[in-house]
Amino acid sequence: MTDKDAICLEALSVDFDGRFQLNDISWTIQPGEHWLITGANGSGKSALAAVLAGAGEPLSGSLSGLPARVALVSYEVQAELIEAERRKDDADIIDVIAEGTPVAEIIDEVCKDHTLAQTLIDKLGIRSLMDRAFRKLSTGETRKVMLIRALTSRPELLILDEPFDGLDLDSLVWLQAYLKDLAQTVPMVIVLNRFDEHPDFITHFAYVNDGHLLQQVERKDEPALAELHQLLHLKTSKLKVPAADPAAQLPPLNPSDPLVRLNGVTIRYEDNTVFEKLNWTIEANQHWQLSGPNGSGKTGLLSLITGDHPQCYVNDITVFGFKRGTGESIWQIKQYIGYVSTALQWEYRVGTGLRNVIISGFYDSIGLYSKSTETQREIADQWLALLGMTERADEPFNGLSYGDQRLVLIARAMVKHPPLLILDEPCLGLDDMNRQLVLALIERICTSKETAVLYVNHHAEDRILGIDNYLALGDTPT
Amino acid sequence: MANYFNTLPLRQQLAELAKCRFMHLDEFTDGVEALKGKKMVVIGCGAQGLNQGLNLRDSGLDVSYTLRDEAIAQKRQSWKNATENGFTVGTYEELLPMADVVLNLTPDKQHTGVVNTIMPLMKKGACLSYSHGFNIVEEGMQIRDDITVIMVAPKCPGSEVRAEYVRGFGVPTLIAVHEDNDPKGEGLALAKAYAVGTGGHKAGVLMSSFIAEVKSDLMGEQTILCGMLQTGSLLCFDKMIEEGIDPGYASKLIQYGWETTTEALKYGGVTNMMDRLSNPAKIRAFDLAEQMKDIMRPLYQKHQDDIMNGTFSKTMMADWANDDAELLGWRAETAETAYEKTQAGDVDISEQEYFDNGILMVAMVKAGVELAFETMTAAGIIADSAYYESLHETPLIANTIARKKLYEMNATISDTAEYGCYLYNHACVPLLGDFMKGIKSDVIGKGLGLNDTGVDNARLIEVNEAIRNHPVEKIGAELRGYMADMKRIV
Repeated sequence: MTDKDAICLEALSVDFDGRFQLNDISWTIQPGEHWLITGANGSGKSALAAVLAGAGEPLSGSLSGLPARVALVSYEVQAELIEAERRKDDADIIDVIAEGTPVAEIIDEVCKDHTLAQTLIDKLGIRSLMDRAFRKLSTGETRKVMLIRALTSRPELLILDEPFDGLDLDSLVWLQAYLKDLAQTVPMVIVLNRFDEHPDFITHFAYVNDGHLLQQVERKDEPALAELHQLLHLKTSKLKVPAADPAAQLPPLNPSDPLVRLNGVTIRYEDNTVFEKLNWTIEANQHWQLSGPNGSGKTGLLSLITGDHPQCYVNDITVFGFKRGTGESIWQIKQYIGYVSTALQWEYRVGTGLRNVIISGFYDSIGLYSKSTETQREIADQWLALLGMTERADEPFNGLSYGDQRLVLIARAMVKHPPLLILDEPCLGLDDMNRQLVLALIERICTSKETAVLYVNHHAEDRILGIDNYLALGDTPT
Repeated sequence: MANYFNTLPLRQQLAELAKCRFMHLDEFTDGVEALKGKKMVVIGCGAQGLNQGLNLRDSGLDVSYTLRDEAIAQKRQSWKNATENGFTVGTYEELLPMADVVLNLTPDKQHTGVVNTIMPLMKKGACLSYSHGFNIVEEGMQIRDDITVIMVAPKCPGSEVRAEYVRGFGVPTLIAVHEDNDPKGEGLALAKAYAVGTGGHKAGVLMSSFIAEVKSDLMGEQTILCGMLQTGSLLCFDKMIEEGIDPGYASKLIQYGWETTTEALKYGGVTNMMDRLSNPAKIRAFDLAEQMKDIMRPLYQKHQDDIMNGTFSKTMMADWANDDAELLGWRAETAETAYEKTQAGDVDISEQEYFDNGILMVAMVKAGVELAFETMTAAGIIADSAYYESLHETPLIANTIARKKLYEMNATISDTAEYGCYLYNHACVPLLGDFMKGIKSDVIGKGLGLNDTGVDNARLIEVNEAIRNHPVEKIGAELRGYMADMKRIV
C-alpha cells in the first residue's frame, strides 16, 4: 500500500489535445486530506481533477505518489461511455438493430466488490434498470451507474467531478452520507460548481482560474475561505436580453388556444409504464416548473411536447394548433420551441463555431445547414457578449468546457424568443456565477409577454420569480 | 425468372449503367407533396425499415408496418420495434390492399418470396419501392404492369439515417425509377418526395438506375469494401506473427487500423490518406500499391465480369437453394483464422502510429479503391456511382471491423456482400502469396524506423502527382465538395 505517500504535483504543466493547458501546478495532497476544487466554468477544475486520473499529456514538471487504483466520475467520462455505446449502434451497416450494453454489464466491467454493487444498486434505486440498455437511461440514471462503477472499483483515490448534479433528492442525501463514511478510509478530490454544497469532510479548497491553481485554502482558515466564497459569488450587474429577429415571422398562433394540450397521455414500454393518463394544458405565456425524481418521466413528458418521443403519435396531443398525427411535420412544431437539456448537449457534437451554434437556434438544427442573415449574426454576437464570449465567436463548440457549452446552448434556445421555452435542468454543470446569470435571464424572459417558460429542476433553491404553476411527477411505478 | 440485365440490348445496358446525376436542392421544392395523404406501408422493421419510417412520419406522412403473421403472433423484435414506436402494425392482408406505396425493406434473399406474396394483394396503380435492385435486375422479377416501381436507398446505416434527420440534416441517398414499371409517369416524383421525407435531399441525392445501383454495389462490396479488408486483415496478421511482432499488438493494429486510416480517406480521399505518411513511407506505400494493383487487376476484372454477365448472382442463388451451405462454411472458416482468434492487446497505439506502422494496410486500401474504381468505370459504370461504391463506403465498413473484427463485418453486411467477400478472399489470398513473401515488418508492424526521412524531390513530385491525378480523386473532390457545400455553415 502506498497510502502513507503524499500525492505531489511539482511545477506540472499538462496539455489537453492542444485545446487547453494547465500551467505550472504545484500541489500536495497529504494522506488524510480531502480536497474540493472550485473555479468558474472553463477554468480548468475538471482538467485538474482528471490529471489525477491520468488524463492529458504532461509537458513539464512532475507528478508522483498516485495510488494504483484511481476512480473518476465526471461528465466527460460519462459522455465518453455514452459515445462508445452510440458508436456501437452505428455499426449496423445493413439491417441489424444494436440493443446496446445492459446496465448490469456496464457495472460488471469494472466492479471489484459485488456485494457493495448490489447494495448501491438498491440504495440508488436502479434495480429495475439492470437489463435496460445503458444508453437508454435518463441523465440522472446514467450518473448513478457511473457512481456505482467508481465506488465498487475499490478506489485508493476517488475523484468526483460534480457528483451531485442531476441526482434526485433521496439519492443525493444517501450519497452524501455514504461519502462521509467512505472519507474515513479513501482520500477524495471533489469538483463542485455549487460551492455551498461542499461536504463537511472536505479539509482543503483549491481555486483554479485559467489553467492555474491560484489559491489553496485550509478549511480552518476562515477569513481566506470567506474571501474565496465571495470570489465565486461574483454577480453580473445589468442584463439585457438581445432582441428577436424581426425578419423571422412564425406563422401566427391563435391567441385563445393553449400552446400545449395533453389529454390523458401515457408512455408505456413493454416492461414498464412510465406514467399514464396524464392531463396537462399550457396556456400562452403561462410559466411552469416540472419536478420529479430520476426516472419519473420528466424528459419523456417533455419529448411528447417537442415531438421527439415516437409515442406522441399514439397519444391525444395538440401543440401549437396541430393535432399530432394529422400530417404535420416535426419542423412545423419545433419552430415554436426553444429547448435545452443534457441530452441535447450530448447530441450536439459538432466542431461548429459558437456564433453558428447560436444561429442554429433559428433553424432548430444541430449544426447549421442554412445560410444565415446579417441580422441573425448580429443577434448571435449580442448573446456572445452577454455570456462574455465575444472573443471566442469562432472557436469550435466541442472544444468548450461542459459548463460553457451549456451557456451557449441556452443562448441558442432563447435566440428566437420562442412562444415556448423548455429548459430541462438548464443549470446542470454551471458554476455559481453562471447559474445566477442563467436564472436572471430566465426571470427576464418570464416577465416578457411573448414566451411561456417550462422549467425542470431538482434544486428547490433555484426557484424562479414569475413561475407560478407546478407539476410534480410521481415515483416510478414498479 | 431470367436475369433482366441480360435481356437488354447492349446500348440500353450501357445507357442504364451510365445513369447517375447529382441532383440540386432546387429540384426538391415540392417537398413531400407527392406522398401527402397517401398510405405508406413498410414491409420489414429492421434498422432501415424502422428508421426510415420514423423520419417519414415526422415529415408528416402516413406510415404503418406490415409483418408476416408469425412475426406478429410471436411478437418478434420487428413487431416490438414497430409497436413501441407507436406505429400501426398489421398483416399483409390487412394493410396491403389499402396501401398507395409499399416499401420493401426486407433482405435481398427474401425479395422473391415477399414480392410474389404481396403483389396480388396490392391495389391497382400502387407503387412498390425497393432499397436495392437485386430482385429486379438479377432475378428478373416481373412486377404487374399497373404498379410503379422505384428505388430509394440511403447510403448509410439505419441509425444514421435517423440521427442525421433529427439533427435537421440527412444522409446521401440514391433514387431510381424502373422504367418498365412507370405506367403513370409519377415514379420520379414519388422517389423525390420519399427522399425528402427521410431528409436525404439536404445531404445530396443521386439520380441513378436500378442497373447501375446493382452492378456497382455488388462490385464495391465484394472487392474493396469487404473482400480487400478481409484478405488484408488475414495476410497482414500472419505476416506480423511470422516477423515476431506481439500477437496482441498485431491484432489491435489491424482491428483499429482500417478504421483510423480510412477516416483520413473519408475527409480527403486517397491523397489525404497517403499524406498522413512520412515522405519515405508514402513512396513505399505507393510502390507496394502499384505492385498489388498489377497482381490483383485480373481478379477485379473477373469479379466485374461475373457481376455483369450474371455468373455471380447465379452462383449465389444456387447456394441460396442449397441452404447457404457455402456461405455458412466460409463463415465458420473465417472464425477459425489466427487473426479472428487473437484478442487485441492492451497496448496504446496513437492515431499516427496506425499509419506509420501500417504502411502495407494503407497501400492495400489505395490499391483496392483505385482498382475497384478503375474496373467499374471501364465496365461503363459512371464515375459518380463508382466513387460511392468504392471510396465513400470503405470507412463505413472499416468501422464494423473496429467493433468486433471480421465477425462483425460479415454479420452486419448483407448476405449478398458476405458471399461475394468470401469469393474474393479465396482468390486473393493465394494471388498475393509471392508478393507477401517479400514483405517485412518495416511496412507492417514496426514502421520504417528511419533517422533520416529525406527523399528525392523528383521522385516525391512524381508520386504525389500520380496519387492526386487518379480519376477517383477528381470525382471524389467534386462530390465531397457538394456534400461540404450542403453541410458547410454559410
